[in-house]
Parts: sequence; C-alpha cells; structure tokens
Amino acid sequence: MITIIKPGMQMSIQDQGRTGSRHLGIGQSGCIDPYAQIITNRLVGNDDNNPVIEITLGLAEIQFDNDYYIALHGTDMKATVNGNAVEPGWSFYIKKGDVLKLNAARHGFRSYLAIGGDWHLPDPILNSYSTDISAGFGGLTGQALQAGDSFEVTPKYNTKVGLGAMLPPKSTQIRIHAGPHAALLPKDTIVNFINHSWHVSPNSNRMGTRLLSDECDIRHTVSLPSMAVAPGCIQLPPNGEPIVLLNDAQTTGGYPLLGTVIEADLRHFAQLKPGDFLHFKFVTLKEAHAAQEKLTAHLNQLAIALNYINK
Amino acid sequence: MTTDRTPKIMALTTHSIFFDAYETGSDTLTTQKKIWALAQYCQSSDDFVDIVPANNNLTLYLNEPAQLAGWLPRLLDQWHELKASDFNSRHHKLTTRYGGEYGPDIAHVAKHHNLSVDEVAQMHSSAKYHVLFLGFKPGFAYLDGLNPQLFTPRHAEPRLSVPKGSVAIGGEQTGIYPESSPGGWQIIGHTDFRLFDINAASPCAIEPGDTLEFVIQEVLK
Repeated sequence: MITIIKPGMQMSIQDQGRTGSRHLGIGQSGCIDPYAQIITNRLVGNDDNNPVIEITLGLAEIQFDNDYYIALHGTDMKATVNGNAVEPGWSFYIKKGDVLKLNAARHGFRSYLAIGGDWHLPDPILNSYSTDISAGFGGLTGQALQAGDSFEVTPKYNTKVGLGAMLPPKSTQIRIHAGPHAALLPKDTIVNFINHSWHVSPNSNRMGTRLLSDECDIRHTVSLPSMAVAPGCIQLPPNGEPIVLLNDAQTTGGYPLLGTVIEADLRHFAQLKPGDFLHFKFVTLKEAHAAQEKLTAHLNQLAIALNYINK
Repeated sequence: MTTDRTPKIMALTTHSIFFDAYETGSDTLTTQKKIWALAQYCQSSDDFVDIVPANNNLTLYLNEPAQLAGWLPRLLDQWHELKASDFNSRHHKLTTRYGGEYGPDIAHVAKHHNLSVDEVAQMHSSAKYHVLFLGFKPGFAYLDGLNPQLFTPRHAEPRLSVPKGSVAIGGEQTGIYPESSPGGWQIIGHTDFRLFDINAASPCAIEPGDTLEFVIQEVLK
C-alpha cells in the first residue's frame, strides 16, 4: 500500500496520457516530462508507460506499507528516507513502514516517482491512467492526490536495484516551429518574441506555462476562428503574455499562435518554475526531427545498458 | 461569380498538419461540412492519432513524422474531390425544460428581446443546430443555428457553478453544459440528455457534424 501523507503543492498520477479523443474535447494529460517517466520506470523494472507520481515543487511525504524498489527522477527535491539522503536518478530499496520525505526543489520544479510493481488503480479511462485534473477523471480519484489517499502496488523485484540513469540535459533555450499566424499579427511581433527573454509567471500550471517580459510589448487585437491546440502551442492572448500550452490544456482555442515548441523540447517545461528565464529559437522540421532522434537514441542506449546489467 | 480559394495547409510540427479552409469563398456551414467530410476521410487511415475539426479548419496529428510529406498534397486533392454532403452524421433530440428553476435567465432573455418566455422557448426549440466542433471542455459542443433574434450578451459576472445539462445562450451561441462548471451564459433551460459520460464505452454522445434539436418538455414561468 502507498499512502500520501502530504501531497505538497501538487501530486498526481500520470502516464503518457490519452490520445484519440481530442475531437471530443478530451485533452492529453500525462507527464509533462515523458522521458523522466520512462527512465524512472525502467530503473525499477516497470513498463515504460506504467503510471508514476508527478510531484510539483516537493514539500511532500509518502509512506510505503511494503518493501519496494523505487526511483525518483527529475529535479532534486533533497529527498530523504529515515534521515538518509536519496539521490535522484537511482533506484533504491525502500522498506515496509518507510516514509519518503521531499524538501522543496531549488533548481527545477517537478520530479517523478516510479514504484516497481503492479499498480492497482481504477480502470484506465480511454487507455490511460493519467489524471485529468481539470475534467475530473482518471488517476485514483479524478483529482490531484490528497493527504490520506492510498492505493495498492503489488511489489515486483524484477530488476537489479541501485541502478542510475541520467536524463537528457536541461535547457532554457526552447526550439520552436513557425506558426500559422505570423502575417496576421502586428509587424515585428514574432521578431520581438524571439529577441527577448521571457520569465515564467507564477500563474502557470499543468495547463500552460504563462510568460512575462518587462521589456517586450506584443499586445494585439487579432481575433481568429477557433482551431485545435495541443501541448507545445504558444498562444498569444491580446494582453501580449504568451502561454505555452502543456498537457492539461484544452483542445481548441482562438488566440493566434506564435509557434509550436518542438516535441523534443516540451519536457523542459516540467522543470521551469515561476521566475525562471527562457528564450525561443526557430528551427526547421529537419532540426526538430534530429532533436527527437537524439532523445530516442538516449532511451535506446539506456535499454541496451539495462539489458546488459540485468542479464 | 466567386471562385473558391485554395485552403492553406502547413506542417505545425514534425507530426501535425493544420488545414485551414477559412475564407475560401463558400459560406461557413458549407465549408464546415467539407471539413467534416475530410475528417471522416482521414479517419479511414491508420496514420492519425487525432483528427480535430474546429472552425473551418482541421488539425491532424500523425503517428509518424515520415507520414507528413505524403499527406500535405493528398489532403488538398481530397478537398477538391469531396462534396459537402460526403459525411455521415446522426441527429439527436434533446428533451428540454425551459424556464422556472431550470432556466433562471429565460425571463431576462425574453425581456432583452421584447419577447414572451414562450416565444423564446419556441424560437430556441424550432431551429436545427449543427455541431460544428467540440472543445473547451470534454463534450462541449459549439453549435451553429441560433436564431439571431435570440443573441444575448453573457453575464458580466460568471456564475460560480452552472448545473450539468443547462441549456444556455452566450452572445451568438447556444450550448449545453456537459458538466457542472462556472459559466457566464444565460441559462434558459435544462436537458437530461447525457452529453458526456466518461465511464461509457464512447463517452461523448455527439460528434462533430451531428445535428440536434431541442424538444420542449415544458415551459415554466
């Protein structure tokens, strides 16, 4: 049994999210950093798409009523078990009755907890265990995890323990595709957007990272027919404060798009916290494809290494 | 004579395509019917993860980036071949109680237009609505067909909670709240029709391209 003692700022059960229902208004949900999710699962011998707990900021506690292999990855939340430091990125053995305590993240925003074994959650909804917090379904209760929530995980010890793996490197330079609305926006809007640094508004969440700039004014009055939007779309509302849509975003929107974050760089938004600076750079489809291949290679190398170690 | 302009097609990402038929010359509903036809054509392929129509445009999410280049010309070819009637749809009848506790704003809407409550219910229920697309929330349908005589501004202050099933008017649109949620539209009635049930095999009763009508169950004063 896994029991949430303190959820901290936000904690939710996520896998890679749901697809195939966007035309019904049903969004993706899922881990904002799917690579952290996959790598953390592999460290404890789970399937890649097994659910994990996505932890935002930290200041959380989780109790384990059985012996498990677990791993934490993403940002360092200065985790401890019985007073002993736990390094992110390594699998370890946690004993019945132990409590995993997380302090506040300082250099990032989210970490991912994988627990080796079979998770007993309500049936998946549209093929996913992800919690859709805004629509209120999926995960354990349809909501973010609360103090006192608990669920069963039947432990499996089908890997070696004490394994470590690195995540692909972090970056605050975000690569983007050109969007469809450049010509409709006031002159220089796109140039100004690219040439300035932006910082993350405290008003950001899993629906989107909202961006602010003290120097750049790109307000506008352009109104458009609604179009489909998805994680990565950079919307520009009339107030000139761009929103990078993330996993819990709605499926349609009417704001012009400044561009779309390449799929390989969406994971960076898992670690951007209020006040962090970032800037954007246009790339070609070919460059975006190469960035994606690099991440795929990272996962492939890990698979080879784990196969070798677990032989 | 107007000639239809060619829609704009572009790759949004390595694996998604934006097909924009807005302002191609035809009226909005005719263009939208072709969008539904194109969406249904694409559904017959296994190449897509998601096919999302919106307002005179269609966004396609592919399984593999390698599939992108082939679809760009293919979509345009299909657009020129398809007719606005080339799609299958269903018609839904939504039994609705107008006014009273079910439609607390119907008197306001009536007064705003110098109509009686009965006339508002009659006008609202005598139209055939097209489900243009879904979005905003799971199961929320953007409907075409509201009688312009019923266009009514939204509340200045949204209600904190509008009950599930509420039938409402917001500006030039009418819609049904699939779940209880905050909202600023004028609530004129209520339907028990289940728009959205996440535990059902197909959670959403209506799809883009469907038509629906509201059938008066009663009009309360």
